Amino acid sequence: MKDMYILAIESSCDETSVSIVRNGCEEIGTVVLSQMDTHASFGGVVPEIASRMHIENITLVIEECLNKADMTMDKIDAIAVTYGPGLIGSLLVGLQAAKTLALIYNKPLIPVHHIAGHIYANSLVETMKFPLIALVVSGGHTDIIYMKDHYSFEKIGGTLDDAVGEAYDKVARVLGLNYPGGPLVDKLAHMGEDTYDLPIPLNDESYNFSFSGLKSAVINLSHNETQRGNKIIVENLAASFQNRVVGILVHKTIKAMKEYKVNNLIVAGGVSANRGLRELITKVCKQNNYNITIPEIKYCTDNAAMIGAAAYYAYQMGRVSSLDLSAKASDKLQ
Amino acid sequence: MISLVIDTCTNNVVIGLLNGLDVIDQKIEFNDKNISTNFVPLIDELLKKNNTKITDIKKIFVAIGPGSFTGIRVGVTFAKVMAWSLNIEVVPFSSLELMASTSSDHVIIPLIDARRGYVYGGIYDYNLNALLPDEYILIDDLLKYAQGYEKCTFVSFDSFDFATKLPDVDIRKIVFKHFNDNGVKPHSLNPNYLKKTEAEEKFSGE
Repeated sequence: MKDMYILAIESSCDETSVSIVRNGCEEIGTVVLSQMDTHASFGGVVPEIASRMHIENITLVIEECLNKADMTMDKIDAIAVTYGPGLIGSLLVGLQAAKTLALIYNKPLIPVHHIAGHIYANSLVETMKFPLIALVVSGGHTDIIYMKDHYSFEKIGGTLDDAVGEAYDKVARVLGLNYPGGPLVDKLAHMGEDTYDLPIPLNDESYNFSFSGLKSAVINLSHNETQRGNKIIVENLAASFQNRVVGILVHKTIKAMKEYKVNNLIVAGGVSANRGLRELITKVCKQNNYNITIPEIKYCTDNAAMIGAAAYYAYQMGRVSSLDLSAKASDKLQ
Repeated sequence: MISLVIDTCTNNVVIGLLNGLDVIDQKIEFNDKNISTNFVPLIDELLKKNNTKITDIKKIFVAIGPGSFTGIRVGVTFAKVMAWSLNIEVVPFSSLELMASTSSDHVIIPLIDARRGYVYGGIYDYNLNALLPDEYILIDDLLKYAQGYEKCTFVSFDSFDFATKLPDVDIRKIVFKHFNDNGVKPHSLNPNYLKKTEAEEKFSGE
């Protein structure tokens, strides 16, 4: 079969990214332009600023990606783009760019769900084996998804309030760390001990998560200790928080593996870069003889390579869009 | 030489095809609330209807604002990517200037409602020279400027509590005015919002 080269665009939040992926499994070249430094001074992503920066950089990023991959547009077989979920203004820039390229070069346009992208990042690492359970953890998602086959997504659990990455960033703020604080909490956790008495969040029979109570517990504990004149040991509080979060994530994921009689686990999304999560889930999978794939960190955070990978399988299933594709701030993974 | 004119800065979307200074075809979509979805299909339709290939187009004239931030980005992203892809010239112009192409015997004051008492507005003469450059301005302040002219015509797609005329845009006039402008590099083609984001305003106000 002839090779298929997909040029993919991702702009759902604060990263402008373009990638060229061969046959859904091999990254030929990727450029990720992060706006993180700009948004950090505002304490979080400012949607309108994100949109403005996407449009300033979009053609530069496309051009740099082609140069990096040593490719020209005439070698590209299809254009893929994240249509949602995400920040609507940000999505629109990538979407307009993709639609314009599809029109000019008369190529198929493949719409990709952002979370499908995170899951399919794993196909850049190794061939995905089904059935599988995907644990998707990011700043906007905490989902357990059962997949019988390609593009068969059954969400069996999700967060009832804050996403796990969101909880990390909020706790980081309480601990006095700068945005985005999640990775710093992870780092501190590795320097401390689990000494603080924090509740296990939503420790029930469901596959759902809830992190807002745990977040409040951290805030209250920090407040009370300060009132009593006790100094908070930041490393230990980070370690205690991380242990509760990672503990429940791993517990419910493994429970799902058992109930659905699945041997393959993939972990996806920005929070899969978390060392605490990687270490524990890898260890528990080993104990249970489960295959686990966690993509390397560059494929965990938002990038277009994962969109190009997901698009390849979408295309195989005939998922091509006409030029009236719309961006969607929220959309069910299907 | 075939050129394309684009304005997506408001809900009233203008696209046109010209050969030199002759208008081949144009389309004005009034009150299009879904331009981000419809825009590329609209262009596709216009090209097909006129048996024109997108690669026949050698120059793009694009309105870069002011107006709806999202709307501006629809047209500018398209123009930017197209000019970059086909390596053709792209010439920016103001969305207010296009509204000011409406025929009138007086100076023309195009207005876009920017809410909370503000407008995007400018003052133009018959030849589309800006007598007052485009500004994000309190409507009351703009009205004071307008008093400096004996007679003026307000044009707007929005409604105000004084008489305005619906713009009757003339894309030929815009192309004529900018025919010999040097194009900008696609990478540096950017919107002209005329307004900072609220976050930036707050940040600089502190």
